[in-house]
Amino acid sequence: MILLQSHSRFLLQTLLNRIQNLEKCIELDHHWVEFDDVRYHVQVSMKNPHILLLSLSLPTPPLETVFVGGLPFGAIEAIKAAYGVIVQILDPPRDGFNLTLKLNLSKLPQDEDQRHTLLVKIASVREVVLGAPLRVILKHLASRTVAPDIDQFVALVHRPNESFFLVPQAEKVTVVFPMRFKDSIDTVLATSFLQEFMESRRTAGLSNAPPCLWSQTPPLELKGVTDDALSANAGFVTFVILPRHVEGRKLDRTVWNLSTFHAYVNYHVKCSEGFMHSRMRRRVESLIQALNCAKPDQEKTKKTPQTRSFKRLNLKDSRTNSRS
Amino acid sequence: MASTLRLYLTCIRNTLEAAMCLQNFPCQEVERHNKPEVELKTSPELLLNPVLICRNEAEKCLIETSINSLRISLKVKQADELENILAKKFLRFLSMRAEAFQVLRRKPVQGYDISFLITNYHCEELQKQKLIDFIVQFMEDIDKEISELKMSVSTRGRLVATEFLKQF
Repeated sequence: MILLQSHSRFLLQTLLNRIQNLEKCIELDHHWVEFDDVRYHVQVSMKNPHILLLSLSLPTPPLETVFVGGLPFGAIEAIKAAYGVIVQILDPPRDGFNLTLKLNLSKLPQDEDQRHTLLVKIASVREVVLGAPLRVILKHLASRTVAPDIDQFVALVHRPNESFFLVPQAEKVTVVFPMRFKDSIDTVLATSFLQEFMESRRTAGLSNAPPCLWSQTPPLELKGVTDDALSANAGFVTFVILPRHVEGRKLDRTVWNLSTFHAYVNYHVKCSEGFMHSRMRRRVESLIQALNCAKPDQEKTKKTPQTRSFKRLNLKDSRTNSRS
Repeated sequence: MASTLRLYLTCIRNTLEAAMCLQNFPCQEVERHNKPEVELKTSPELLLNPVLICRNEAEKCLIETSINSLRISLKVKQADELENILAKKFLRFLSMRAEAFQVLRRKPVQGYDISFLITNYHCEELQKQKLIDFIVQFMEDIDKEISELKMSVSTRGRLVATEFLKQF
């Protein structure tokens, strides 16, 4: 799996299981956490097996982001547009969560394919909620306008207490990611990855991709942002999104890719560290084997004539060697 | 490039061959103790002159000898930050497994990346030629491993970037 999938696999599995055993009254109560501190809670009670409560908790927003009633702007509209009648938003949400959805499983479409598509859509609730503001702005880009009530730049949360920035314009949207990593090794690996982003754009077949820049210092577009929000130890990545990147069906993919860019890089940094470890372990084994070769008892079992030990005693030989 | 590496390694091999003539030597101060003199440096007459072999500024090898023990310290080349991290990670990984290696020192000597400590007991247990072979192979392997790791990081980075940008 090179790319991150937009649906939560566990949630999809739970929903599918639930639907197959709709008649059985099984109580469900699952908590789980996904990357970037997004937490889920699923609950089904014995009394109403058709009703499934899905709660979602988002990463803590930093100061510069705008949250309306605990959700990013445009999230409620996005949920309504995506799910329609099957989902009801509960207000207030469950304690400790940002959003609680009430799913009525008996209202699911009968058609197998349609149902599956809708369930995948429900499983990607994270994309719908967190990506909502990004989607609004990119939709305006597709129609080459700027949303009326919008500042010079918009901050959107993507990790706990961290945000990335959008600079919306009529012809393009500039997306800037301050890249932060906790570990110094992660930082170095990520830096080398990010430089590859800049270089691979030049290769053939990717000329349609958005221009990508990486720099150690914050780009000029972000003048006026507080220093706190701009402290990044792995530099800044800038993507310039043009209208052709958000046309029609591309919009969904672009929204998802941009909102999980940091997670994507982080995931691959961790993967390559894991790969390194398995490599190093193998190398250690081969080195230990090389050292074991030096043990003399192995020689005896082979029953080879022990010419080497004779050579070892030949002091004259080794002395002349060392002087040469 | 390859030929300078061979010369460097041959030089180390010959020096080790000459230096590795260790004998049992009990401690002079404490009765019934037997300690590697190269670590303790209790008396100057038991130490020999240390030999420093340099391939360039970044890569060098220090061989310190005493009557009953020998210490080899290596500095591995680190051209950039990535290599530095990879080398550190790999050598730390090795040092943590020093027990399995017998001759590896748990901590490198100051200013070096990794150290070996060979005592007369090791020389009795292991064959001298093969021990030297091992150390030379170790040096070759470290260099090879680090450059391969670096390659794999950049290949992966390229792939990751291409796949991401293909999405648009």
